[in-house]
Amino acid sequence: MFSTKLQDRSRRDVLKLAAAGVFAPTLSGWLPVLAKAAPSGGTGKAKSCILLWMDGGPTHKDTWDLKPDSKGAGDFKPIKTAASGIEISEHLPKVAQVMNHGAVVRGMTTPEGAHARAKYYMHTGFREGQGGVVYPAIGSLVSQEKGAANGAMPNYVAIGGRSFGSGFLGPKHQPLLVTDPNRGVEDLKSALSLSTFDNRVGLLEQMEKAFHREYKADAINDHKTTYERAVKMMQSKEAKAFDISSDPSKAKYGSGRFAEGVLMARRLVEVGVPFVEVSLGGWDTHQDNFARVKSLSEQVDAALSALVTELKDKGLLDSTLIVWMGEFGRTPNINARGAKPGRDHYPRAWSLAMFGAGIKGRVVGKTDKEGASVVERPTTAQDFLGTVCELMGIDHTKKNETATGRPIQMVEKAKPFTKDLL
Amino acid sequence: MRLRPVALFALTTGLAVLVGDLTNIDAQEKVNKKAKKKVDAPATEPSEKIPPRAPRPSNPVATPAAKDDAALAKVIDAEVTRKLAAAKLTASAKCSDDEFLRRAYLDIVGVIPTADQAKAFLDNPSGDKRAKLLDELLADPRFGRRMADIWTAKLFPKDSGNRFVLKEPLYKWFEEQFNKNPGWDKFITSLVTATGTVADNPAVTYFLANRSVDKLTDTTAQHFLGIQLQCCQCHNHPFTTWKQTEYWGMAAFYSKVKADNPKNANKGGDNTTIGVQEGNGRTKQKDFFPEAAKNVNAKFLGAEEPKLNEKDPYRPALAKWMVAPENPYFARAMVNRTWAHLFGRGFINPVDDMIEESVASHPELMDGLAKHIATTGEYDLKYLIKAMCLSETYQRTSKPTADNGADTKLFSHMTMKVMSPEQLFDSLAQVTGNLRDTRGKGQPVGGKGPRVGGREQFVNFFLAGADTTSAVDYEAGIPQALRLMNSPIANNPATIRALLGKDTKPADAIEKIYLAALSRRPTADEVKDLTAYVERVGAPDAYGDILWAVLNSSEFTLVK
Repeated sequence: MFSTKLQDRSRRDVLKLAAAGVFAPTLSGWLPVLAKAAPSGGTGKAKSCILLWMDGGPTHKDTWDLKPDSKGAGDFKPIKTAASGIEISEHLPKVAQVMNHGAVVRGMTTPEGAHARAKYYMHTGFREGQGGVVYPAIGSLVSQEKGAANGAMPNYVAIGGRSFGSGFLGPKHQPLLVTDPNRGVEDLKSALSLSTFDNRVGLLEQMEKAFHREYKADAINDHKTTYERAVKMMQSKEAKAFDISSDPSKAKYGSGRFAEGVLMARRLVEVGVPFVEVSLGGWDTHQDNFARVKSLSEQVDAALSALVTELKDKGLLDSTLIVWMGEFGRTPNINARGAKPGRDHYPRAWSLAMFGAGIKGRVVGKTDKEGASVVERPTTAQDFLGTVCELMGIDHTKKNETATGRPIQMVEKAKPFTKDLL
Repeated sequence: MRLRPVALFALTTGLAVLVGDLTNIDAQEKVNKKAKKKVDAPATEPSEKIPPRAPRPSNPVATPAAKDDAALAKVIDAEVTRKLAAAKLTASAKCSDDEFLRRAYLDIVGVIPTADQAKAFLDNPSGDKRAKLLDELLADPRFGRRMADIWTAKLFPKDSGNRFVLKEPLYKWFEEQFNKNPGWDKFITSLVTATGTVADNPAVTYFLANRSVDKLTDTTAQHFLGIQLQCCQCHNHPFTTWKQTEYWGMAAFYSKVKADNPKNANKGGDNTTIGVQEGNGRTKQKDFFPEAAKNVNAKFLGAEEPKLNEKDPYRPALAKWMVAPENPYFARAMVNRTWAHLFGRGFINPVDDMIEESVASHPELMDGLAKHIATTGEYDLKYLIKAMCLSETYQRTSKPTADNGADTKLFSHMTMKVMSPEQLFDSLAQVTGNLRDTRGKGQPVGGKGPRVGGREQFVNFFLAGADTTSAVDYEAGIPQALRLMNSPIANNPATIRALLGKDTKPADAIEKIYLAALSRRPTADEVKDLTAYVERVGAPDAYGDILWAVLNSSEFTLVK
C-alpha cells in the first residue's frame, strides 16, 4: 500500500522526512536503497564554498597549465609558486604566493563544448534535458545540505551575473542574486520608515493568524515561514554583509565588480552563508586572447589572493572551499582569426583550481605536451562535484526526489579525488 | 502490489544530448565531438513478444447518454460521496459565494475578479448564478490565455537548443485553440500532424522547440497520454512493463519529420520562415533522428504495428490511434489532468506518469468520465470543466471539518491551491495597475515610473529555473518574498488613490480593498480592527498599509 502513500506525500514532506532521517525500515521496497546509501566520504570540514565562475571558458594553457615548449605555447611564461613543483602563469604572481593553500586540477575532461550547455553541465553534473528534469546547481545542493532552514541569511548567493538555479529542488534553494555588489541585495531594504514597516508586518501577522485558524493548510505555514525569514533577514545584523561600502579591505581586492563581488563573498562567508558564487565574464577569447587574458588574470590575481589571505588571517580558510573554474578550457593551438588571434572552445582537457578547505599545494592530473589531452587522472565534472561535496562533508550519493517522485542522486558516478588534495 | 523501485530510475545511460549551437566551435573540437556522439542502440531483444498492456480495467460508472453537464456533475458527486462514506469521512460544507467566485476565476481565467465583478456576483440573489458565472468564464478569452500559459510551459521546455525558436506564435495558437475549443482530439491531432512554416501554421513550433524524435516521443507520451516513457529510451522501464523497443516504436512515427534548424536571431535570422515537413523517407537530419533507432518499425504503444506506406506521412496514423475512443490512455489523461487542474491533484498522481500499477483514487469515476468524454462528450474540454465545476465536490469549502483535515485524496474538502506565477502576476497587475503585461512585446524599455519588469521576467523570477511550480505547495523563497514586500509592486501610493477614489469612510475603503484583492467583504471583526488601525495611523497612509498586508498575505496568494 505504500506506493500510493508515497505519491500522496508532497515533495516538501519527502524532503522533510529525509532530512529528519524518518525513512525508517517500515517503507519497504525502494527505501532500503536510500537507507543503504552510507555516507560516502563526506568527512570534509568546509562549511562554506565560494565559486569563482570564469564565464566564457578560461584558457588553461595561459593560466594553470602552461606549456612553454608546445606548438601553441602563447605569450605567457610560467612562474614558480609557494607550492613546490607547481608553476602557473606569470600574470598570477600573488596567487602564486598562496598556492601552498591550493590545488590545480589539470585533468578536467568534459563532453559539452557550447557555452550554455557546458555551464549547465558544470553547475549540475547533468546534461541539459537529460531525462526531462531540470537539475539543481551545486549551490542549491549545498544550500539544501548545509543551509539553515530558518536562518536570517539566504543559503545561496550569486553575485554579478545569472547563475544556475535550484531546478527540481524548488525556489527555496534558488540563489539570491546580487547584480551589482555596490547596490547590494535587490529589494532588501524597505523604502518605508521602520515604524510603518513594523505596522504593516503587524497587520500581516494578524491576517495570517486569522486565516490559518480557519483553513489550517500547510501552505499557510510555509508562507509564514518564508516571510518570517525574509523579514528577519531585512532586520538582521548579518545582512550588513551585503554592504561592502565601508569594508577596510576593499583596496586589497583590486577594482571593478568582480573584486567587489569577491569581497562581498568573504563577508558572506564570515556570517555563515554556505554557498556564494561570483562571476567574472570575458573569458571567451576567440580573439585577442593574450591581452584579454592578461587583464582578466590581473583581476583574478588581486581578488583571489586577497580572499585566501584574508580568510587565513580570520581563521576561516580551512572551513572555506574556494573554487575557480569556467565551463571548459580553450584550444591548445592558437587560431588564425585576424591580427589578434585567440583560442576556441575546448572541453577535452582543461584546468580548474581550488583553495582552502585544508588543501595543501597539490596538482591533480596531467595533460600531454600540447595541453591537448589528459594523460594522468582524467577528471570528470562528476568527480569534481563529488570532491566538492566531500570537502564540505556532504554525502554526494544521497538521492533527492523530483516533484513527480523520481529519486535523483546528487552526483552520479563520481570518483572524487579528495585524498589527493589533503 | 508493485512498488516503485526508484533507485533504478536514476538516469545514467549516456544519452547523447545533442549540441544545439556549434557556431563557436572550431574544427578540432567537432572532430572530437563526433567520436563521442554515440547513441545507445535500441533494445537488442526485437524478437521478444510483448504482451499488450492496457491500464487496469475498472467498472466505469454509468454516465449520461447525452451531453449534460449538470447530470455529469451528479455522477461525480455520487461516486465521490460513495467513497467518502466507505472511508467514514464527512464532507466539508458548500463553499461560500466568495470562495467559489475567486476559485472559479483563478481556475478558469487565471486572474481574480475585480472589485466590481466581485460585488456584482456577491450581491446577485439569483439561484443559478454559479452556473452562469462558469459559462461566462469559459466564454471569456482569458480562458485561452490561462490554458496557453500552462501548455506553452509543457510543450516549449526551456533549453539552449530552442532559444531562438519563437515562443509567441505557439502561445497565440494555443490561446486561439483553447478559446475555439474544437475538441481535444482535433486539437491534439492538428498539433501532432502540423506541417508548414511558423508563419503559416504556428503549431509547427512544437516540433521546432522539441527538435529531435526522442524529445517528441517523451512529450507526446507524457502530456497527451499521461505516461513517462523516457526511461525506456535507454533501458527497459524499471517499474512498468514497457520495453525499450516500445519507445523506439513510438519514436518511429516522428522519423520522417524534417524540422528546420532555428536561425541565429542575434545575427538577424528570421525564424518565422522556418518550419516542418514530413518527407518520403526517414529524415537524415542526424541531430534529429539518432542512427541507432532507424531500424525499428513504427508501433503503437502496447499495441500493433500499423501498416504504413513509406510514401505517406506517419504522424496522422499516430494521431488517429491516440484520439480513438478505444485508446486506453488519451481520454483518461485528459480527464485526470483536467481534474488535477481544478482540484490540485488528479485521480492518479503524478498526472503525467499514470503508470499502470498505480491505483487511482476513483478508478470507476475516472474511467466513466474518460469513456463519456471520448464518445458522447466529443472531447469537449469546456464541457468537462463545466461539469466538474458544477459538482458539489468542486463547490466544497477548503475549510476542513473535525475529521477530514488529513484527507488528501478523497476530495472531502477542496484542496488549498497556490497561485501559479502567471496567476500571481495577473492578479497583482489587476489590483495595483502598475505591472505591465509585456507578452509579445519583448523586454519593457526603461523609463520613468516604478521599477517593475514585465510578465515573463516576473514569472521566471518565481519559477526560479523550474518548469512549473507546485499547485499545492507554497514554494516561494526569500527573494520572492522580498520582492513582494519591498519592490514598488505593493508600495505604489497611486494604487490606493485609484482604488479608493473619493471614499473616505474607513469601513467603505476597507471593503473596497478586500473586494479588490480578496474578492470578499471583510468580516465585522476585520472592519472593527482595521478601522481602529486607520484611526490610529491616519488616512490615506493606513490604507496603503492595509493593501500592502493584504497583497502579501497567504490568503491573497493561495486559492482557497
